[in-house]
Amino acid sequence: MAEGFDGFLAAALAPAERQGDRKFVARVQAAIALEERLAAQRRLLLTELAQQLAAVAAVGLALWWIGRAEPVASSFSQSPALGLALLLTGFGLLVAVMSSRRPVAAEAYRH
Amino acid sequence: MLVEKYERPLRSFLARTFGPDGADDAAQDAFIKAWRAAGQYDGRARYSTWLTRIAWRCRLDAFRKERRGEDAQPEGSVAAPTGEVEDMLSRLSHSERAALVLCEGHGWTHPEAAELLSMPLGTLKSTVARAKAKCRAMWEGAERG
Repeated sequence: MAEGFDGFLAAALAPAERQGDRKFVARVQAAIALEERLAAQRRLLLTELAQQLAAVAAVGLALWWIGRAEPVASSFSQSPALGLALLLTGFGLLVAVMSSRRPVAAEAYRH
Repeated sequence: MLVEKYERPLRSFLARTFGPDGADDAAQDAFIKAWRAAGQYDGRARYSTWLTRIAWRCRLDAFRKERRGEDAQPEGSVAAPTGEVEDMLSRLSHSERAALVLCEGHGWTHPEAAELLSMPLGTLKSTVARAKAKCRAMWEGAERG
């Protein structure tokens, strides 16, 4: 009786003998491929962000350094309006250049 | 390759333990989580043990969330039983079901199952014995007619 029950239980609880489920395997592989693509895009976005932050910091540093030069500093102190206009122009140019750049990451999302 | 190798026992375990509804989705989630956490697999346990542990935790969390939104039901209840074994399993708790399926049906050792279910070895052994005794009583009852 006990052996009969043990045999019954083992047979009933064992995973069914069957071939691999190709449909399910394909489904999981597709989901993993999607995850891989998303992870790659996330890395790309972060890299781009880091590059842009570094570029902005470099431009800011350069402007600050130029602003410290004696002739520039003296002309700024004589005419703050001119200094402000130059800064705004520089900033406008920077924004125009950066916004005209086609983001690589956005491109990657389309594929 | 890994999916092909492990989908059968994993889906079977999930379906037996939590009922067939959502077993495939849970298995898929487990494979994706295992892929994400591949770097954390240290090879100390069998890959199937590690994968099943991920699936068990995912499904248990999902099951608890599902239950929070519904009227509380006894832990032993799963989807409508579809046969003799399913009927027996539906009367056990999740832990009893998981322990029984792994140790009696999937050939896991008691220490492996204890680790998966996060319970001491002695508790695991008594859980398996209790589950088996309950099933035996039901089986013998059915045999007697």
